[in-house]
Amino acid sequence: MTPMTPGTAEFLLAFADDEHLMGQQHTEWIGIAPFLEEDMAFASIAQDELSHAALLYAIVTDKGQGGPPDDRAIDRLAFDRNADDYRSAQIVEVACTGWAHALVRHWLYDTAEELRWSLVARSELEPLRDTAARAAREERFHVRHADGLIDVLVRTPDSAGRLAGAVNDVLPLATGLFDPVAGEAEAVEAGVTSAPFDTLLPEWTDRVRARFPDIDIGAIAAPASAGRARRHEDFAALMARMNEVRSIDPTAIW
Amino acid sequence: MSTMTVDNTLRDRAVAAVATVDDPEIPGVSIVDLGLLETVTTTADGTVAIGLIPTFSGCPALAMIAADVEAAVTLLPEVGEVTVEWLRSPVWTIERVTDDARRTMATNLTLAVRADSGPTPCPRCDSPTVEKSEFGPSRCRAVHRCDSCLEVIEVMRDR
Repeated sequence: MTPMTPGTAEFLLAFADDEHLMGQQHTEWIGIAPFLEEDMAFASIAQDELSHAALLYAIVTDKGQGGPPDDRAIDRLAFDRNADDYRSAQIVEVACTGWAHALVRHWLYDTAEELRWSLVARSELEPLRDTAARAAREERFHVRHADGLIDVLVRTPDSAGRLAGAVNDVLPLATGLFDPVAGEAEAVEAGVTSAPFDTLLPEWTDRVRARFPDIDIGAIAAPASAGRARRHEDFAALMARMNEVRSIDPTAIW
Repeated sequence: MSTMTVDNTLRDRAVAAVATVDDPEIPGVSIVDLGLLETVTTTADGTVAIGLIPTFSGCPALAMIAADVEAAVTLLPEVGEVTVEWLRSPVWTIERVTDDARRTMATNLTLAVRADSGPTPCPRCDSPTVEKSEFGPSRCRAVHRCDSCLEVIEVMRDR
């Protein structure tokens, strides 16, 4: 069986949508991050995520052939689908209410993403395996970035309190990353990914507890069902912002 | 690419053309010396396919570099269709940066390349530098300081 089945495409779309929307959300801090260097660092991380998304969408558009990417086809997947056709988790769709939320989301997301790439490191789908090799190194860096800021911020009561509030707000949505996605079982069977993502939920949970030992986060529940099938109420506004410039001239060459 | 010999094969001329393209953020340093050129394939009817690898997925200069490479190769005589592609593999590593490039970066830009092990030496005075931030002005650079000459140093890194 060729690894590139319709189920594999669905599986890849969910991953790509998460990466795409996470990258778009991070870019919103350009110019308003707490300090200048953070502007640069966070924007660089956003660009990595957007590039990962493009690489994943490209596998879908050329059916795993690994040829040159078709930018128009990638854009159609990234920007032109109906809301119902996205497979993103609500954690990447929600509008963060401040820097603490954005930072906590960044940590929770990238810690999960690092685990996610590890599942496809030996994928039967060669372009995915190659992308994972590069992305895994980059994710390590992303997590170190979030860790470095949190290490400093937990030392003062004011910022530690803001982080704790953000963890409690964001964590329930973050578990939705582990929602089973359509096609995942097929992707596992085809060797595209080595196991369902939710098998790593306990490992992720352990990392969350180790990162925030002083925060009472209670039980980390299994994901609420169908989280990826439903868009968060903030999704429409996010799509509008993403397409604001592009919609002025859809045929423009970028 | 420092010792260029006269060679008329299309492939060698294509490599030489790519070597004229500098990294837009590191003027004076060719992308070939930075180790970005991975494959050059030519055919008898003059088509040239260039395969490049990025330092990092999120490098904002990728589109500009690809356009510069395509323009440089297209200018060659007897060249047909030119394609430039960013490859998924291999992963770029710091060892791909040539000694020539390291010297130019150190001399002209006070830009160091991260040492494989131990502290990265200062490009000005060769003393060990101390990392001040992993997060420099671009994705591939950290910020160090030299405690001897007190210079703030940008350090190219691969992870």
